[in-house]
Amino acid sequence: MSALLSSRPGDRENCPEWAIIDLQGELETRNPVPLSGKFIGDLHFTKKDAPIFIIGHHILYGKIVDLEKPFAVLKKCQGEPENLEAMETNVEPSKNHYEVEALIKKKILFKTRPKPIIANVPKKL
Amino acid sequence: MDDVESENCVVRNLEDVESVLSFAKLERKDVKPTVQCVIFSQTLDNDSIKLLELDSTVLKCLTVGDRVVIRGDKDDSAVLCTNDKTYEIKEAETSNSLLIIPDLKFGTDLSNEGEVHVTYNQVTSVLNNYYELRPCKPKVKKMKELLEKNLYSGKECEQDEQHQGKKYTYSDLLDVIQASDTEITQALHHIKACLIDGYWRLLDFDFQTQIINHIMQLCDENDWLNSGIPMEECCQTLEELFPRSVIEHMINCYCDKRMEETNENVYKINEDKVCRFFAELLLRGSGQFNYKEFLQVWQQSVPDGMKTNMCQLEGLALTNLDCNIPVIWHFPVDDLPEDINERFDFLFRTREKWTRDDITPYIKDLVTEKLDVGALLTRHARASLQNGIKVFNSRKPLNK
Repeated sequence: MSALLSSRPGDRENCPEWAIIDLQGELETRNPVPLSGKFIGDLHFTKKDAPIFIIGHHILYGKIVDLEKPFAVLKKCQGEPENLEAMETNVEPSKNHYEVEALIKKKILFKTRPKPIIANVPKKL
Repeated sequence: MDDVESENCVVRNLEDVESVLSFAKLERKDVKPTVQCVIFSQTLDNDSIKLLELDSTVLKCLTVGDRVVIRGDKDDSAVLCTNDKTYEIKEAETSNSLLIIPDLKFGTDLSNEGEVHVTYNQVTSVLNNYYELRPCKPKVKKMKELLEKNLYSGKECEQDEQHQGKKYTYSDLLDVIQASDTEITQALHHIKACLIDGYWRLLDFDFQTQIINHIMQLCDENDWLNSGIPMEECCQTLEELFPRSVIEHMINCYCDKRMEETNENVYKINEDKVCRFFAELLLRGSGQFNYKEFLQVWQQSVPDGMKTNMCQLEGLALTNLDCNIPVIWHFPVDDLPEDINERFDFLFRTREKWTRDDITPYIKDLVTEKLDVGALLTRHARASLQNGIKVFNSRKPLNK
């Protein structure tokens, strides 16, 4: 069993660069509904380039981390690789094939506890 | 975290953004005008992608378009191979959530000036794991085991029942052996495999003995021990008996090519390799051999003019010289386990205490850039002094 791993043709020199937001814990909704399409939060940057992420009633202060070793985002592809150049040297075409969709070299790390936002304080008591 | 919008299609108006900002006690003037609204993609799929941590070598291979392959068998863990290196693939889990976002902007990408505006940034997957690469030794022992299932004993034997086992082409091997191209080629060379009719084969030992004996006889008749073996003439003489590719292979295994001005290929016999071969012939399958007798018989068995020496047997035989009757026996390093822990277990089961000189031939194939023989011993053995000599024994009790 073997699977070929390759960049997408044309992507080699300038592979798209994606990013990671690294959060402690998990994101959950109050009700068990699918997360797809749901709003998570607003990501701001201060003028000093520090990231601030506001999720619901929580504010998170983070920092940009350059990854010592970049991540490749791999996507499993069905069928033969389109990458013909790789095919030529591939003695026996393998059924499985992974493509590098993107590279991730930086992430935004939020490692401190979220601070609560006291919102909607009643104006009249 | 709660308070997630209920509509599927998120529209974030600036008023909402600004009011949240003020609740959070952040000043508009302190943050950049671009607000990145992070949403889960409509097609959120956590299984569609995998994260693989790359080192600079693998990254470079991918950028220049070199072949990178993931290899695994049902029973093996997966490895990643570049053209010349092998890496173990290890899964790493994290309790953090990794939100994968294709087009996120960082602070330095954003201007300090301009109208406040919202961009939408989709999270395509949320992951709690990624894969790490660890450089590892190629797992090539399996190759020897596979090739041993059908040894080559000459053309006339190919139809025999014991020679109907599977034969392997190079691409067959690439598919089943967890090692890179370069490493497989090196390993084939190391185990003295020979390419016969498109298949990589190991030669049956008795068959090798026949060829060596013929070559040595020719050397004797033609004084080739001194002048070197002319490849062409040697092959022509023996071609009736053995396939040409096999004769060439044997000469390449036991002789060194001589660099000379003449165009003809001349090979100088490698005395150490030939002596080692004859020692193996004596030791194979004969259990413990009286050491003194062995030395005598061995010297008599090698071609005239060759000198046997115990250092030719490094990694091939072990001796016990401390008992009443000193003995020697066949103990080839190639037959030992490939895994470091299993290897040390095996060695310490064979012999409780080893000197550094004795154990080195049996572990030196395990060294890496980071771990030399000394470091391997520190990690896997315990040193002590015995009669003033430093010896190594197992770090853990071994159940025999």
